[in-house]
Amino acid sequence: MGPVSWILLSPLIGAVVLLGIPSDRTAWIRRAAALFTGVPLLITGVLLATYNRAQGGYQWVDRVAWIPSMGIAYQVGLDGINLTLTLLHALCSFTGVLISYRIQSRVKEYYLFYLLLIGGVYGVFVSLDLFFFYLFYEMAVIPMFPLIGIWGSGDKEYATMKLTLYLTAGAVLALVGLLALYRVSGVQTFDLIFLERYLRQNPIPGGIQRMLFPFLLIGFGVIAPMWPFHSWSPIGHAAAPSAVSMLHAGVLMKLGSYAILRIAVQLLPEGAYTWLPWVAGICVMNIIYGGFVAMAQKDIKFLIGYSSSSHMGYVLLGIACLNPVALTGAVLLMFAHGLMTALAFAAVGHVYDQTHTRVMADWGGLARQIPLIATVFIIAALASSGLPGFANFAAELLVFFGSWETYRWSALAAILGIVITAFYMLRAVRTCFFGPLNPRWASLQDATLFERIPYVILVSALLVVGCWPRFLTELISASTGSVLKHLSPLQTVARLW
Amino acid sequence: MVTPSGWLLMLPELWISGLILLLLFLDLRWQGRPKSPLGLVSLFGLLSVIPILAWQSSLETQTLLGGMYRIDPLGLFFKWIFLGTAILVTLMARETASSSHPADRFGPDEGEFYLLILTASLGMFFVASAANFLMLFVALELITISFYVMTAYLKTNSNSLEAGLKYLILGSVASGFFLYGIAFLYGSTGSLSFDKIRITLQNLSSLPPTLLVGLLFILGGILFKGACVPFHLWVPDVYEGAPTPVTAFLSVGSKSAGFLVALRVLFEMFLPNRPQWAFLLALLAALTLLYGNLGAIPQKNIKRLLGYSSIGHAGYLLIGLAAAGNHLGATGICFYLAGYLVTNLAVFLVITAFSKQGGSDEMADYAGLSRRSPFLAAAMFLALLSLAGVPPLAGFFGKFLLLMSAVSEGYLWLALIGAAGVVISLYYYLLLVKTMYVDLPEDSAPIPVSVPVRIALIACMAGILGIGIWQGPFLNLSFAAVKNLF
Repeated sequence: MGPVSWILLSPLIGAVVLLGIPSDRTAWIRRAAALFTGVPLLITGVLLATYNRAQGGYQWVDRVAWIPSMGIAYQVGLDGINLTLTLLHALCSFTGVLISYRIQSRVKEYYLFYLLLIGGVYGVFVSLDLFFFYLFYEMAVIPMFPLIGIWGSGDKEYATMKLTLYLTAGAVLALVGLLALYRVSGVQTFDLIFLERYLRQNPIPGGIQRMLFPFLLIGFGVIAPMWPFHSWSPIGHAAAPSAVSMLHAGVLMKLGSYAILRIAVQLLPEGAYTWLPWVAGICVMNIIYGGFVAMAQKDIKFLIGYSSSSHMGYVLLGIACLNPVALTGAVLLMFAHGLMTALAFAAVGHVYDQTHTRVMADWGGLARQIPLIATVFIIAALASSGLPGFANFAAELLVFFGSWETYRWSALAAILGIVITAFYMLRAVRTCFFGPLNPRWASLQDATLFERIPYVILVSALLVVGCWPRFLTELISASTGSVLKHLSPLQTVARLW
Repeated sequence: MVTPSGWLLMLPELWISGLILLLLFLDLRWQGRPKSPLGLVSLFGLLSVIPILAWQSSLETQTLLGGMYRIDPLGLFFKWIFLGTAILVTLMARETASSSHPADRFGPDEGEFYLLILTASLGMFFVASAANFLMLFVALELITISFYVMTAYLKTNSNSLEAGLKYLILGSVASGFFLYGIAFLYGSTGSLSFDKIRITLQNLSSLPPTLLVGLLFILGGILFKGACVPFHLWVPDVYEGAPTPVTAFLSVGSKSAGFLVALRVLFEMFLPNRPQWAFLLALLAALTLLYGNLGAIPQKNIKRLLGYSSIGHAGYLLIGLAAAGNHLGATGICFYLAGYLVTNLAVFLVITAFSKQGGSDEMADYAGLSRRSPFLAAAMFLALLSLAGVPPLAGFFGKFLLLMSAVSEGYLWLALIGAAGVVISLYYYLLLVKTMYVDLPEDSAPIPVSVPVRIALIACMAGILGIGIWQGPFLNLSFAAVKNLF
């Protein structure tokens, strides 16, 4: 069993180990959770350093025949795209565990569901078999229900039900699409590596591709979250406990765009040509409409939630372009945006746990009382507005460059989106952290030394990639290149926008 | 090893018959004494069928009694399901008999209750081995009549009596349909033997009207047993009113028997003529799925909810019948029922353990169960997710196979309705999860769980996870069971 399987198994083993720890030994439970999410982070770090960039493609592939009669095999491996996303997930999940040290009620159950969620997400990113991909995808969705329902805040029961049902509806729609794909490909296998190769030589007829593509696009688009299926996401982020919001906005939303890229676009290129120009139009709605809705929010978690769905529009735009520059930008943006959102939710969570209000107008002047948290949030806000020096800047720039030729109007709208982001983010910073200090918060505690660890990890990752984007873009572009190698460029198709 | 032949082939049935006589004798003998030891006798009697079935599981297809009785892989597969159900139901009956609700107790009639479980199981075993419509009908009646009595067993509970009467009236009509259908079949083919009918039908290019009418009548009887639209009306009331062990028995045992007969009739005999009936079943599958799942949404009583959800599950099983052109559908039905056995009985075990301690069947009463008994709540959580079809649990792969069979037969719309059913069912199952995990209990007294129930629940949970994660062996078993049908 190779390193990638251990990344996937570690949190799942951790969940089993937790079952054996008595529920009143909370310190041990927390340590175990940190250990079993720290190990994948270490492994991912090593893999990132040792990935053979010259060779490219899937590396460290593990394969175990699972149900040979149906062509189902447990198969995992990493290329530049999912290695980047695995790194994102490793960072967010490990820091999430540290942030969750504040959770005091039903600690064991909390970490149990949290580790299952983490395992499911790793599974989606590393699986190279469509059956296991789907299996882990659903496995990642379900633990959200108790996590938000029990430890959430606000309108959590409504939020968690809406979130679970939306995501499951998307998942089963995609499942029907995958089953139809299995049938029409005619090779009786769910093996993604094989299908990629096979379908290049023997493509599915164009009409069928065009019919199947929406199943996968909408099915996975729900979690992406593609407008108009985004409404579950801000409510869900707002109601979730901080660490879950971090994973959710930071990582789970990326599952959708990753699945669209890896499965829908790669296996159904004809369908992609027909439908992606529409996606380029829809993502304008994500960016502009999401941005304006974010502007109107009074609750800071809702603001970040809508901002996330707005920013995922850039990712979708990058994918829709089908050219190497924009695609690399899209993957890098998934990474950068994930870190930035996780950072913002972590900082907001720190304040909320003490103030028990998320209404921005109630905060005011907190920078004096908790300078470190304020700095962290400001960093997140600046990164989100695309300030050079942060990974987001490099990523968004690539998306703009890449989309300019293909969808000029969408690119213009996206650039306008940056202005909108800067407006509501800076306004939020002003309202929450500057001005006179609300006397109610005179006893607010800043982060202790231990509590600073997650912020340090996330900020340094944002800065390192921001100052040295080539470290990741090289990795990503080798893989996006191989996705695109067999697709003709889209320039001619899509003068539409 | 001796290859069994002759009467030895019927050893499981003979053993259960002997057990029935023993119980009858002991029940009369122990007049006025507590009857709970009879439950133990019955339980151990049933457990000792396990080695017998294991011993028979390697047998080739053979017939007995002039072609009336047949032993084949499909029958054996279902005998395992029936046996598992009977064991768990006996266990539940023992729990219910010592319930803290006086109205739920069986009182002095406890002994006969175990007896009735055995007679129903005997009927199911004979259904699994019947190779002739006469035998099949008698076996089905043995099941149904046992259920008439069991459903109405709580003589002081008006719901139970109502359920019993409803089941009696509607069940008799369904039996009448079935018998009438057999008469048509006999009239057109001149035989009651499955083999002979199959050979006659193979030579027909399309079904003449008399045979079609016969098939429809027979289907009516089957759909009643399986709890499918349009013969579903009895389900919610009977599930709610009947004693919990009976509801569990109906939902797994009786439904499995119905689908076993469906596999026998539709796949063994009418397979060549499937263009004439497959679409009807696809339509009924869609209606059953939607009716069951939508009907479950407003329910407040957990047994009634499970009644509607049982209709929903019948809808998935019908997809497998409609997708008759490939073996995936039939394999899926077997796999699904095996998963349904461990999953649904886990739910009923929790309900039994909960109501034994004075809890009612109202869903609101389950508030805060995770604090009162983390074990029961976890078992229920797992089982409900498996019912909804969440991976990596047993219910998921069954649904996966059935949806796949629908897609490969070109019923994309049916697969979409099935997918929608997953979402709807997740909604009402999660409502119950929310009640158990989020809401606060009114009475926070812990709920003790007896050792046998604990063992049974752990076995069920192991089954839910085992079948769900390590699907291969169970898939092979399911496929081996149905491959002779094609």
